Amino acid sequence: MKERLAGVEPLARLLWPPFFLCALLVVTWVIIDNVFSGGSGKDVFYTQTALRGFLMLIIVLALQIFSGNSGVLSFGHVAFVAIGAYMSALLTIPPEIKSFTYLTMADKFPWLSYWILPAKLSALEGTLAGAGFALAFAILIAPPIVRLKGVQAGIATLALLVIVNVFIIQTPSITRGASTLIGVPNTTTLLSVMVWASIFVGVAYAFQQSRHGLRLRASRENERAARSVGVRVPVERAIAWVLSGFVAGVAGALYGHAFGGTFSPQDFYFNTNGFDIVLLPIAMLVIGGMTSVTGAVVGCYFLTVAYTVFNRPDALGITEGKPPSGTANLVLGFVLLATLALRPRGLTGGREIPWPTEWSFDWVRRLPENTCRLLRGEVRPAGLVWLRERYRGVREPDGPSSPEGPAASSTESRT
Amino acid sequence: MIIGSASVVIQIALDSIAYGSLFALMALGLALLFGVMGLMNFAYGELIMAGGFTMFYTRSWGWVAMLVMTIVVVTVLSLLMELIAFRPVRRAAPVVLLITSFAVSYFLEALGWMTVGTGPQKGVEPYPWLDHQFDISGVRLSRLTIVIWVVTLVLVVGMTLLLKRTALGIQLRASTEDFRMAQLVGVRANWVISAAFGITGLLASAVAVLYVLRIGPAIAPDIGQGPLIIAFVGAVIGGLGSLAGAALGGFVLGAMINALQATLPASGDLVLNNHTLVFAYLAVIAILVFQPDGLVSLRAGGLARLWKRWRPKRAVAERASA
Repeated sequence: MKERLAGVEPLARLLWPPFFLCALLVVTWVIIDNVFSGGSGKDVFYTQTALRGFLMLIIVLALQIFSGNSGVLSFGHVAFVAIGAYMSALLTIPPEIKSFTYLTMADKFPWLSYWILPAKLSALEGTLAGAGFALAFAILIAPPIVRLKGVQAGIATLALLVIVNVFIIQTPSITRGASTLIGVPNTTTLLSVMVWASIFVGVAYAFQQSRHGLRLRASRENERAARSVGVRVPVERAIAWVLSGFVAGVAGALYGHAFGGTFSPQDFYFNTNGFDIVLLPIAMLVIGGMTSVTGAVVGCYFLTVAYTVFNRPDALGITEGKPPSGTANLVLGFVLLATLALRPRGLTGGREIPWPTEWSFDWVRRLPENTCRLLRGEVRPAGLVWLRERYRGVREPDGPSSPEGPAASSTESRT
Repeated sequence: MIIGSASVVIQIALDSIAYGSLFALMALGLALLFGVMGLMNFAYGELIMAGGFTMFYTRSWGWVAMLVMTIVVVTVLSLLMELIAFRPVRRAAPVVLLITSFAVSYFLEALGWMTVGTGPQKGVEPYPWLDHQFDISGVRLSRLTIVIWVVTLVLVVGMTLLLKRTALGIQLRASTEDFRMAQLVGVRANWVISAAFGITGLLASAVAVLYVLRIGPAIAPDIGQGPLIIAFVGAVIGGLGSLAGAALGGFVLGAMINALQATLPASGDLVLNNHTLVFAYLAVIAILVFQPDGLVSLRAGGLARLWKRWRPKRAVAERASA
């Protein structure tokens, strides 16, 4: 029996991270669905938050597929989200509603109206269709984008986002301009988003492990070295870009049918005074650790919880001393700063979740002992030690032998 | 507005130059930080916010005190940003620096909304002296426009002198070229980076004063966001590798947008509600694809390319002769 188990262990080890993460999602869904939204009179706050959290998770996974593996930053994935949302909404709104909300489409865009206006797709078909359009758009714009890297890629994808946003606002006969859509079926449930998120956890992990993912990761670490061993970097980037465009499109399609089926272009653009769909997923990815799927999930959970706790403390039972509005963003900024200062490579350090037998509980075991020593003043917290090291290191030219600095190891070394 | 006569064209051109100058100053500060530490500083907009609110709260102190206070507050804020937020992550990956600057931006903006952003609309009443307009054969030219030109010119000349003539300037330029190498030959990292943030703060205070005076009585905590994105895109298409290129890129994009706003019908605020923006940003993507180092790039310019093409042959020839 043991030998047979040993035979499957490599496979089990390979499948462990996505299995664990999907289990985490399912557990979250069970808890949210049964514990928090049981009573009838209770507000839908938790369900809504979890729904938004899962939707963000899909966007973060899309970003992970492209940015995490290629190391190229993208601000433009929200453009795919917007395209997915609009196209799936257009194709799922009942034709009888479309006939009087899109009066000008037949005149101005007959080549669109003859198949959009009578279309009546189911929720799943609509989602796939919306994501399909996002995928087609990703293919269309892949050639210029995949040739760029660094700041240039960031600005080019930002330009993409602006272009799509302006187009949506300025083409009211297709998109109803800046106003909200009417009659979008409210078909997205917490369960469906959870299932899609689980699928994409698997997809992101499978892509990361595939030959294309490996080539792309090699080009992330050292583009010249990867090219020199025959990796066609633009091609690999394009594959990741198109795949992540599809994933983001699904997120958009689901977004369009959630929250009562109302959305406007402003939902898919910078929102400086609230929940920012452009910058927050990037922050989530970096906070969790860009290079791993675990990092994407952990970062999303971490920031969603941090944001929610301070956005609606009354929903958690804290009714006294309600902080003024805006605290959530203030705290979010602070949490981001503190996390990045203490763990610059993200919460997971960019690694996947380890195999259960390799979990280290040393820090838990040593916690009482360390707390006592801390209280007695024998040690200082690792973060402070690390900060001191940091400041000492930068006074003079530091040795080129330690490109990562003391950051990589100091959080663990509590001596 | 329809272009009717030569005077209108000149009018628009003069305004656009002034508007572009503001973005040139912003892009200069952004490029300085990017060059020295690889930071895309999204918190730059909050410096302008801080400047705007400092002007609001000190507006009754007389204009000299107001200017001094604005410069002091913005510069100190810029230095504090470096000390508290950016120093701990200095050697992290560029994307971590970027997220850190988001965090600073979020933090300061939320702070702005919670403290000074509440209550009635805040603003600085336009100074009648600045609003005075000269009328030169149909072209109206306000003193504010002239002031913007003069301040920009002075700051650009000052920056040029600083970068070319002083020890600090040489250190800054060396750090922009290759930070690690500069450190190895004795440039002190803390000093250079603090100096870069200080200079950025000075430039930001100038931008804040001129921008607030120009847009009139409407100061909100998100005042810096719109111009920041334009300045960023301008700096990148101009070329973040060289300070002059970035400033020029910011100037060209800012001036172009102002000219488009003035000449095209149905325009909004800084977020241009026009299809022209689509074409403008398509042009941006095209520029980035064909000239990834920017339009004005010192490193990847024509001469450098020729040099690269020629160098290996020479090396081979030398080795063969030796």
